[in-house]
Amino acid sequence: MLPLVVSSIDRQTPSIVSVVLEHPDREQLPDWKAGAHIDVQLVTRHERQYSLCGDPADARRYRIAVSRAELSRGASHYVHEFLRVGSRVHVRPPRNLFELGPAERYLLVAAGIGITPMLAMARELDARGEPFTLVYLVRDESEVAFGDELAEWGDRVRVHSGASDGRLDLAGMLAGLDPGTAVYACGPARFSDALSAAEAGGVLPAGCSLHLERFEPVQRETLPDEAFTVVCAESDITLQVYPDTSMLVALSQAGIELPASCRRGVCGTCVVPLLDGAAEHRDSLGADAASGVVYPCVSRAPGGTLTLGI
Amino acid sequence: MSGALEAFGHELHEVDLAEIRATLGTPAQGAFDKITDHLDENCLRFLAHSPFCCLATVGADGACDCSPRGDYPGFVRVLDERTVAIPDRVGNKLADSMQNIAATGRIGILSFVPGMTETLRINGRAMVTNDPTVLAMLEQDHSVPDLAIVVRTEQVYLHCGRAILRAGLWDAEMQDLADEVPPAGRIWASMSGLDEEVGDEIGRGVGLAYRKLY
Repeated sequence: MLPLVVSSIDRQTPSIVSVVLEHPDREQLPDWKAGAHIDVQLVTRHERQYSLCGDPADARRYRIAVSRAELSRGASHYVHEFLRVGSRVHVRPPRNLFELGPAERYLLVAAGIGITPMLAMARELDARGEPFTLVYLVRDESEVAFGDELAEWGDRVRVHSGASDGRLDLAGMLAGLDPGTAVYACGPARFSDALSAAEAGGVLPAGCSLHLERFEPVQRETLPDEAFTVVCAESDITLQVYPDTSMLVALSQAGIELPASCRRGVCGTCVVPLLDGAAEHRDSLGADAASGVVYPCVSRAPGGTLTLGI
Repeated sequence: MSGALEAFGHELHEVDLAEIRATLGTPAQGAFDKITDHLDENCLRFLAHSPFCCLATVGADGACDCSPRGDYPGFVRVLDERTVAIPDRVGNKLADSMQNIAATGRIGILSFVPGMTETLRINGRAMVTNDPTVLAMLEQDHSVPDLAIVVRTEQVYLHCGRAILRAGLWDAEMQDLADEVPPAGRIWASMSGLDEEVGDEIGRGVGLAYRKLY
């Protein structure tokens, strides 16, 4: 992990602060592209994922933004109350599970703190001279973060305030897209679920695509947590995963320590190759029978056997 | 062991309160002034960085208990300047602390920050709760506790560091002391009337169990 130092903290809204991280000796940081996130470990050892929302061209700074969770599990509370300029944090190098793909035009949709990856995407598309529109949903105007930066893009940015503009018809917005539009969206679970549902309902015009980044786990019905068997092909270890234990913990008990961060199937840190067996994928990253990977923090194989490439 | 006292050839003299005061003198006013009834900014910062505390509780019969609690720093969550919440994590289900709190509603907390010689003492009234809002805030590693202890502070003060300095508690080299103590499995086996081999087996099992902390 990279040992970094907080070089500035700015209050963006009553509930969002942005935090800039630098190397203590101002060394260059690993590069990244829009959509990338970093895992930040606080001095309290709480580790959370934050989308990078600064300028990818600035190789000496990472900027993140942290929303104070109403029922903080510790990290956002700490960032808002106790983190200060000079505080040390540890950071895993950027990873990108939400990369911009090629498209004729782009619609970026952010809700609340979901503005962070969208800000980086808008900056990248702007630098590439590609056409984009950014729709930013907030509950009211006081919740607009990075307002001065968004103003640079003039009418390409549309702020939709629930308090003054009412509810935005997301399905209608998708249905009215120009052909060849790629939609990139990030926001809380209800927002992502509404977009997924609209997509599943077939509203997307031909040639359009929807790409979602989730920072909360997808809520889904799962099979019961029955025991299953895991074969680790490379280390030649076979183990049982019992109902009250995750595959990740069972592997750790067998002496196979994997890097892990969110433990909720969101961040992708603990990904392992899946060589054989039908997994019940419970992650929020979209692993399926074809992806050849499994996220052992949440996924299982009730009653079955999984062969992993570790 | 009991033989040692008998070897003195006399009974222990019990010192009463008056004699204690006569021996130690009266504390300076400054010692009282440091005691407050709530958590100030500095105390909040102390608790936010504390991964460990000891809970002292008392049962209805006056019998006392002291037990350790450890977790990610800040696990003693401040709800307001007079209220903190402490999660109840996986344990042996004896629930001595909870039982005592349910009976008497009293608690004393001694909080530590590794590397810091002073400790924070919080005494007050406690209750056990399963309030979903409080429990949600105490989630760790995808695990929400079933119960939490909520404490209303009555006395809050920073305890001086002499005890920890005398102990060398944070000196890494002091950890060679642990090499001279039997491993936990053997201690448990012996106390349960089992032999050493069983103790080593218990030790191995507990080593695995320790990998699942939440």
